This record gives sequence, structure tokens and C-alpha cells, in this order.
Amino acid sequence: MSQYIKYILQFTLLILFQVLILNNITLYWWSQPSGFPVFTPYIYPLFILLLPFETPVWLLLIIGFLCGITMDSFMNTPGMHAFAMVLIAYLRTNVLLALLPKNMKEYKQLSPSTKTMGWAPFLTYSSFLVLIHHSVFFIIELWSLSNLSYLLLKILVSTFTTLLLIIVYFLLFSKRASNTRQ
Amino acid sequence: MRVIISLIQKFFNLILFVGIEIVCMLMIAKTNTLQGNDLMNSANLGIAFWYKKQTGVSTYFGLRQMNDSLLNENTRLRQQLAKYSEIDILNNNAVTRSYTLNDSVHSVQYAHYTYYQARVVNNSVNSASNFITINRGYKDGIEKNMAVISSNGIAGRITNVSAHFATALSILNNKQSLSAKLKNGTSSFVYWEEGASPDELFMKGIPPDIVVKLGDTVFTTSYSTLFPADMIVGTVQKIFKLKKDNSQILHLKPATNFRNMQYVYVIKNDYMEERRKLEDTTKKQLQTVHPPK
Repeated sequence: MSQYIKYILQFTLLILFQVLILNNITLYWWSQPSGFPVFTPYIYPLFILLLPFETPVWLLLIIGFLCGITMDSFMNTPGMHAFAMVLIAYLRTNVLLALLPKNMKEYKQLSPSTKTMGWAPFLTYSSFLVLIHHSVFFIIELWSLSNLSYLLLKILVSTFTTLLLIIVYFLLFSKRASNTRQ
Repeated sequence: MRVIISLIQKFFNLILFVGIEIVCMLMIAKTNTLQGNDLMNSANLGIAFWYKKQTGVSTYFGLRQMNDSLLNENTRLRQQLAKYSEIDILNNNAVTRSYTLNDSVHSVQYAHYTYYQARVVNNSVNSASNFITINRGYKDGIEKNMAVISSNGIAGRITNVSAHFATALSILNNKQSLSAKLKNGTSSFVYWEEGASPDELFMKGIPPDIVVKLGDTVFTTSYSTLFPADMIVGTVQKIFKLKKDNSQILHLKPATNFRNMQYVYVIKNDYMEERRKLEDTTKKQLQTVHPPK
């Protein structure tokens, strides 16, 4: 039961952090060259990445959809975040299967993290899914390939920033989580 | 039958995935127009609650800049008032002008506008179509298609209204353009492109013989029913010449700072409906007299 409460709390905090803080910080990598993408990193897909290993795919899909719809309502983009989220929710299990040394069923009551998977596999896993999420979302948002270099820059730069944020998240919270588990 | 059920069981996840994706695509397709998107937008009460809490905190940090912009606006309004009072003495008011015709006095009233003040609860500058959410809804008299201006210049127009909130499409948007003119009266339209920075608007199709200087101001025209005439759109930042037909493209710096907008005014044009009806009937008459070939 406490597991459910933990995930609901995590969901609320991630969404609120995304909407109330990150969406208001407009980032530049360098300020002057005109036309260089202005962007915000999207950290909320982390919620789908952190669900336990044994979550069935149908549940992942529904959670991804709900998460995306919540973001959509906040950002006036009906269906766009939901589309990208459902896609990575579907791909998640396959990516995990490819990266984990053991069978998924052997990880009881555990969720993907740097602790259970190690830094390199976890970063591969999250960077792959975050890259897919960002590419799909920005392609749908722009809906034209006329300015291809701009699109690619925007995708790469925001993926990189999101990954930095994910690393910071683990550096901040992983130690405490391991203490409570013991 | 059993085969079908076992097939569905085997591919249940895939079917669910495709189903949800189709639902998402339908939502995108249905609401990617300006008319749609009534259910899921930030004028929604539950969503707007959070945004309201957030601006409650964040307005504290911008109080000084806000004071400055209000002061600037005050001075500008005072200057304009001084101008009008001068004209008033000469009995030549710009809003109402009376003249005698056949021994009777007629009073002609020009466009009449009502101003509502509102606070910005949410605002974006970095997506393809940017929105402003304000804390006034239909209970305060806000309606669709009203103009939104900041204290420095124009900002957008209202697209969705709920009881206590409304969302406006800002001019940083690839979905709408705006009629505008230069100081000497050359009129054209101002637009924004996705990919441009929020500090840049474009103005296309200026004839080659018109002399434009850097720093010239661009105003709205009275052609559109939306904005009152002679509101500031922005100032000319760069000038480019098209090789194709030698016409000029101007890059404007918008007068409104979209990154730091806290208070806006919503303008209602009381004669918009009347004017629109009149223009529509005229168009219809023209079509019946000279049917298009």
C-alpha cells in the first residue's frame, strides 16, 4: 500500500515541478545567435521510467496516457504529450529486456534506478527513451520538416538537458532511498 | 471464434497501444484548430488553480519591473491626454465630432472601446503557438475575439473563455497575422514564425520605394476589427531586401516583453458585430450583382 502512495506522491511532485518551475525557465545554450532554439526540458517522462520492473504493459500504457493527458491540460497541447508518453510506455519493456542481464521476473519489488541497474545501463535506458519522447513530441508540435536543422537542434539540446536533470535527480535522491529500503 | 480470442489475448498489449495512440491522434487532429480545445486548456478550473498559486509567488519577484512599466505607461497616457486636450480647445475632438448639416446638429461617434484589466496567470514564449492565460472569464464580461494588449503594446486575442479564466493566442504564433502600418501609412501585415526568437516579429511586402529607418515604430491599423488603430506593435530592428521583387522585409522588436508579462488589458470593440454584419452584407450584394467568374 505504501508503495502506491509513494508513486502517487512521485507523480504529483514530478508534474508540479515540471509545470510550475521548469516550464517557466526558458533556457538558452548561448544567447546571441538568432534563431537558436529556446526550449524547456521535459523531466516528467521520468515517472514512467521509474515504475517497478514487473508492471504489466497494459498498466504502463494507461499510466502513460494519464500522465500525458495531465501535462496536455496544463500546456494547452491536446494529445501531443500523451502520444509521446504512450509510445515510450510501450517501448519501455523491450528496452529493459535488451539491457538487463537477468530475466525481468527475478527483480521482485524493484524499480529501475542507478542502484539496481548500474549507471551505464540506466543512462542508456533513460537516454534512449527520453530521446524518442522528445523527438516525437517536437515533431508533432512543429508539424513541418521545413526547418530541419532547427528541429534537430531543439531535440538534441533538450534531450541533453533532461538527462542532466535526471542525473541530478539520482545524485540527490538515490542514497536516501537505499537507506529506507534496508 | 476461439482462434480470434486467443489472438486478441496474445496481441492484447499491441492492440491497446494502437488504440490509445489513435485516440491521441484524434485529439490532436480535432483540437489543432483554433475553435476546438474547449475541454483541455489551462482555462480549466483545476489547472488554473495551480497556475494562480504559482503567480501568487512569482509576482513578488517582478514588482520592480512592473512598477517601471506602469510608470512608463502613465507618462505615455499623460502625453496623449495633453495632446487631446489641446485639440479639444480647438473644438476638434478625435472621438466625437459634431457638424451642422441642414440646420441640425449631428454627432458622429467613432469606434468605441471598453477596457478590462486582467492579470496574466500563465504565459509561454517557446512553443509553436503560444498562449496567455488570464484571470478574467465570462463572468467579468470577457468574450471570444477580444483584443489583449500589455501596457507597452499589443499582445494577442482571446480564444477560449471559462467562468473565471480565459486563454488568449499571443501574436507569437504561426496561426495568425495582423494588419499593421508604418509611420507614413504604408500598411502591410505582421506575423511571427515558429523558430524565431520571442523578440522578433516580421513585416513583409513593403514596396521598395518606401524609406524605412531603423527604430521606426509600427502601429496597428483600423482595418482589423480587433485592435484599436494606432496601438504600438513594435520598432524596426533590421531591414532586408528581397531579390525577387525588390520588396523589403522588416524585422520588428515587439513593444511587449512577452517573457515578463504580468498585467494586460482586454479591449472590447462595441461596434465589432455591427461593422462585421455590414461588411458581410456588402460582400454578399457585390457577389449577387457581379457573380464571380
